[in-house]
Amino acid sequence: MTSTHSSRSALGAHASRFERTGASLAFDDPRHLQAYRWLVDEAWLLDAQDYTGWLETLTEDIHYLMPVRVTTALGAGFDTSPGMAHFDEDKYSLSRRVARFLTEHAWTEDPPSRLRHHLSNVRTFATVDDDHLIVDSATLLFRNRGDIHPGSLVSAGREDLLRLTAEGWKLARRTILVDDAVIRMQNLAIFL
Amino acid sequence: MTDLAGTFTDVRRGMIPAHIYNDRELFELEKQEIFSRAWVFVAHESEIAKPGDYVVRRVLQDSFIVARDEQGQIRAHFNMCLHRGMQVCRAEVGNASHFRCPYHGWSYRNDGRIAGLPFHEEAYGGEEGFARKGQRLLPAPSLDRYNGMIFISMDPDAEPLADFLGDFRFYLDYYTKQSRSGIELRGPQRWRIKANWKIGAENFAGDMYHTPQTHTSVVEIGLFREPKAEKRKDGATYWAGNGGGTTYKLPPGDFDERTRYVGYPQEMVDRMKKTLTEAQQQVIGEDGFMISAATVFPNLSFVHNWPRVADSDDVQPFISIRQWQPISENETEVLSWFAVDAEAPEEYKALSYKAYLMCFGSTGMFEQDDVENWVSLTNTAAGSMARRLLLNSRMGLLADGTEVIPALTPQQFHGPGTAHTGYSEYNQRELLTRWADHLDRPATPAKNFEVGTSAPAGKAQA
Repeated sequence: MTSTHSSRSALGAHASRFERTGASLAFDDPRHLQAYRWLVDEAWLLDAQDYTGWLETLTEDIHYLMPVRVTTALGAGFDTSPGMAHFDEDKYSLSRRVARFLTEHAWTEDPPSRLRHHLSNVRTFATVDDDHLIVDSATLLFRNRGDIHPGSLVSAGREDLLRLTAEGWKLARRTILVDDAVIRMQNLAIFL
Repeated sequence: MTDLAGTFTDVRRGMIPAHIYNDRELFELEKQEIFSRAWVFVAHESEIAKPGDYVVRRVLQDSFIVARDEQGQIRAHFNMCLHRGMQVCRAEVGNASHFRCPYHGWSYRNDGRIAGLPFHEEAYGGEEGFARKGQRLLPAPSLDRYNGMIFISMDPDAEPLADFLGDFRFYLDYYTKQSRSGIELRGPQRWRIKANWKIGAENFAGDMYHTPQTHTSVVEIGLFREPKAEKRKDGATYWAGNGGGTTYKLPPGDFDERTRYVGYPQEMVDRMKKTLTEAQQQVIGEDGFMISAATVFPNLSFVHNWPRVADSDDVQPFISIRQWQPISENETEVLSWFAVDAEAPEEYKALSYKAYLMCFGSTGMFEQDDVENWVSLTNTAAGSMARRLLLNSRMGLLADGTEVIPALTPQQFHGPGTAHTGYSEYNQRELLTRWADHLDRPATPAKNFEVGTSAPAGKAQA
């Protein structure tokens, strides 16, 4: 098995291990179109902070991982902080995060932020299994809170594992490689 | 212009001029009078476990390479080439035997000594022109350690770290000495918040009063086992030496039962009994207090809590160490590490890491709401009205100074220092009084170092 961020995580043992095979699919390939549509729909869910709806698009065995990036010398062989992440989540911990936003006391989102998840550079790969696709994408989140503060940005690349279920495609694994070593947002009370 | 003497007098009586949380003039003073003297945490030995391992950490704007040299000795050097002042190490973590400046190619061993100086003979006429022998990167003026935690001070005459920490060491051990092997640190997560650095330090030092309000949501979703955060007032806050913190009151039981109650497996409890002193065990076993958040002056905080991390009634303890690194009067870089006992079982370490991520750090569900408050406070403190408002930080005291709830007796609380149950702001006052005392001292000029002349560049580290 290839060593990946997800497989190296102490909390990743439960995750699906399908990996990409071959070159990216043609842009008119139906599998790519389905994956792309899934990501666009997800971006709108996240912008609207419809987290209950978002949770339903995740599989029960999801591993949602956002390692901490570090600046290392060329050739060091690593650029994430060993054993540390911003998010290293399973369905339960994600469900608690969502449940918290649904209380009336999650002050950090009251008043709510204005969010825009910009999505680009989407490409899709087949895996050895027809019901699993790997999708790469870039995301740029703009978040603005209150009236006078300038907004803040998080830029990241993502690798997703999508699984075809009876209810359609669902997210089974996501690895978010954020482009900041020092996050320039007051907290990550958002999802990428 | 700020009336400094008046500000310090107000602070010492627990009335806080609101502008101290966003005041450029005071920030300049803090840089000189606090951060150029106090002991500042930079790293833990476990982050640089092997020879050649290094991390680069800052004290304000000053970058230091904190490295373990080939002999295993821990060193901290100012990350600036002696020739033209480039950063010699531009990574933040790694392993290297040497650091080479990209500008003119000077190189240094990981113990700081110059290893290579291109064209030494041709350019300088050899040793006569530039005395290379014995030259090294500028060492941190002072370096000292406690339980593997590495601190540096910009004051070459700083008092020993043990004296600076004083009796707070008693409480520091709960976080950092759960077994003979001590802790291992992971991270840090780093992020910048538009808040003054003192607010987080005060909050972690003693603010039990905010928990029921700020953190209502985490109780509602069952992250906390207790149905109400109001239980916090049954805990004690303590201040000892240069630090203080908060505790939770635990249900009846002995040391083993109470430590297991917060989620430690018996094998870890057994190891704690071998490393903690009798008095340290009595605070838990007899007095029934379990440490939670704490701060060491000026900007190092700790947190220990025991949330539910799965759909069950079990709780899982975690420890975080964090630093409120000042960037400006209204911006702070938070460095938040996950800490875990090195001898803990692997499964415990994994779940403790999960507990940390759910509660604190860049994504933590407690921390998210804290920061929202601190950003708002800092923002409001910038204006002219904030210069007229004295915030009342006298909680726990009547107008004549009588304590609302008298201090715990040595029989009720076996730890050093002074402890009180109930909501209070004793610790915030202790912290800000130290802040005022530091700012209120005359500055001492730092001495200069000359490079390459007969005067050696700083004394070698012992």
